[in-house]
Amino acid sequence: MTSYIIRRVGQSVVLLFFISILIYVVLNLVPGGPFDMLRLNNPRITQSMIDRLNALLDLDKPLLPGQYCPTVGGVEQPCTFDQGRYVRWLTNVAQGDFGNSWTMQTGTPVLEMIAQRLPYTLLMTGLALIVALIVAVPIGIYSAVKQYSATDYFVTALAFFGQSMPTFWTGLMAVAIFSVALGWFPTGGVRSVGAEGDIVEALAYVFSFGKLHPELAGQAGALILDGLHHLALPVLVLAYFNLAGWSRYTRGSMLEVLRQDYMRTARAKGLRERVVILKHGLRNALIPLITILALTIPGLIGGAIITETIFSWPGMGLMTINAIANNDWPVVQGLLIIQAFLVVFSNLAGDLLYGVVDPRIQYS
Amino acid sequence: MAAAADLLQLEPTLSKKPVGQWTLVWRRLRRHKLAMIGLIVFGIIVLLSLLAPLIAPYSYEEINLRNSYAPLFSPGAEGQAPHILGTDKLGRDIFSRLLYAGRISLGVALIVTILTTILGTLVGAASGAFGGVIDTTLMRFTDIMLTLPFLPMVLVLSSSLRQYSALQDFLGSSMSVVIIIFVLLIFGWMTNARLVRGSVLSLREQDFISASRALGAGHSRIILRHLVPNSLAPIIVSATLGFGTVIISESALSFLGFGIMPPVPTWGNMLNEARNSPLQYLFTQALSPGLCIFFTVLAINFIGDGLRDALDPRLKT
Repeated sequence: MTSYIIRRVGQSVVLLFFISILIYVVLNLVPGGPFDMLRLNNPRITQSMIDRLNALLDLDKPLLPGQYCPTVGGVEQPCTFDQGRYVRWLTNVAQGDFGNSWTMQTGTPVLEMIAQRLPYTLLMTGLALIVALIVAVPIGIYSAVKQYSATDYFVTALAFFGQSMPTFWTGLMAVAIFSVALGWFPTGGVRSVGAEGDIVEALAYVFSFGKLHPELAGQAGALILDGLHHLALPVLVLAYFNLAGWSRYTRGSMLEVLRQDYMRTARAKGLRERVVILKHGLRNALIPLITILALTIPGLIGGAIITETIFSWPGMGLMTINAIANNDWPVVQGLLIIQAFLVVFSNLAGDLLYGVVDPRIQYS
Repeated sequence: MAAAADLLQLEPTLSKKPVGQWTLVWRRLRRHKLAMIGLIVFGIIVLLSLLAPLIAPYSYEEINLRNSYAPLFSPGAEGQAPHILGTDKLGRDIFSRLLYAGRISLGVALIVTILTTILGTLVGAASGAFGGVIDTTLMRFTDIMLTLPFLPMVLVLSSSLRQYSALQDFLGSSMSVVIIIFVLLIFGWMTNARLVRGSVLSLREQDFISASRALGAGHSRIILRHLVPNSLAPIIVSATLGFGTVIISESALSFLGFGIMPPVPTWGNMLNEARNSPLQYLFTQALSPGLCIFFTVLAINFIGDGLRDALDPRLKT
């Protein structure tokens, strides 16, 4: 087992190394750099201005280790060896330095920006995960136990609809119906106009026993309720998206378990059907869900780009799309590499956990 | 006597010409109700889009600023067709735009599906057939591509290509369409590659391959008569379901403003315009483009599901 873990971790590190190359290359693929379009949009911008901008952001340095021959004011300088932008970036990242933002919050460390956004995303994606699980697992079990019943067909139809309904449309329609027409929920954002703080600050106040954000004393409860009111629609939209797939998955896994010999044994022992299903069936049926949960962790932290965009929720997803739109390469690179890291290691954790929960699986 | 009568009745069936594989598939598919509904709905959507110039009462770019955000079923100007689905911000007829948008959305999805299927099949077949270092390299690369977060990577690639001025000079207004096809191809071939590799690997070991080799069949005969038809079924199913995924991906990109750019209408960028319209018009603006995406993808998923059942050789009678 130990040697298996060591080998898998080693493989994951190598995998991440190649991923980091791809992420860096995709951004730097365009020969003109981030300022190429400036020239088209504004004919008064000259090549030398663009060169100066590139030099400012180190973009004149070679991508990979090689010769660096700068020209200052049209005069060629002697060539020197440069370790390359990619190598410099990777060594910095390995030391926990993701660089500073270019355009969104110029000069702010990328990690600081992420730390500021992360709680908002975790709050939304975490709640959506809980809602989806609470609804999906019972539905899945019920439709497996009552296979081919009306409920089963209804759940199948629901899953089909969920798969075919893109989140950006369900989101827009939810806003149009529940916010605009019925007026039940706000159309987006984190807090109401005039609120002194938002739900994340209020939660920080509560969990630090008043040490953080002491100015919120006495109104934390109201702020949390206001935040939940804003969260309701995005959480439901996001949960519906996951719910469809998960209920199908639970159903399939439960159907598999129902066929097993130990289920017949449990019934033969004279156990009540309720105990058979919930204790002997469900516990085994939930094991494959570990894999699905492992797959959702990167999304929990990476944020939901589309949902956050529709509801102007200031999380990691909205940050991703703004960083891309604003050519903030250090931020984009940081977000992508963190996301890839989470994918690789949550897959690994899922595999290992699976072995712990299900002793039938042998690793070699 | 009864047995003999049965035999006599069986006679004409036995002497009939043998039924081809695809006839059998079609027969099974025809019994699949949902797949048939899907096929009809999808057929109607394709037909409407293809015949857009004949059916659409207006052009997709005909602007009438005095009649913007007209509600559903509003009458047109004197002597002109009514706006069944209303008009958008610039007073353009939404129904006509939907028809033209269908051409782009369906066309892009078709091209991307064909290209990803070809690329995935090539990679997977090479991997499965050659084995060894080639297999390991290709599959590791596939793993890496699958690990990259799809939506952010697609957004990044399309945004950096969009900023390449030389590409803009070369492709002009069709640039955004070419970019989206390219981007969805780059990040879309992996599942198919894995599928084809798996099916080639398992087929290689099957007895009927050894048998036909023992009977003296050459490489090309084995590939054409046995490997291709037998791995075709999963490829067709995954391409069908993939078509639906591409429709959603393209709309998502266009919705986020990183896909196909106006004035070329697609269902996705019509939803983007809907999002930017005043809130009281959101419902009418977002309803119809979204329903187009929804019905297309739902129909495709039904067809894919039916095809899976119809093509699965284990169910063959």
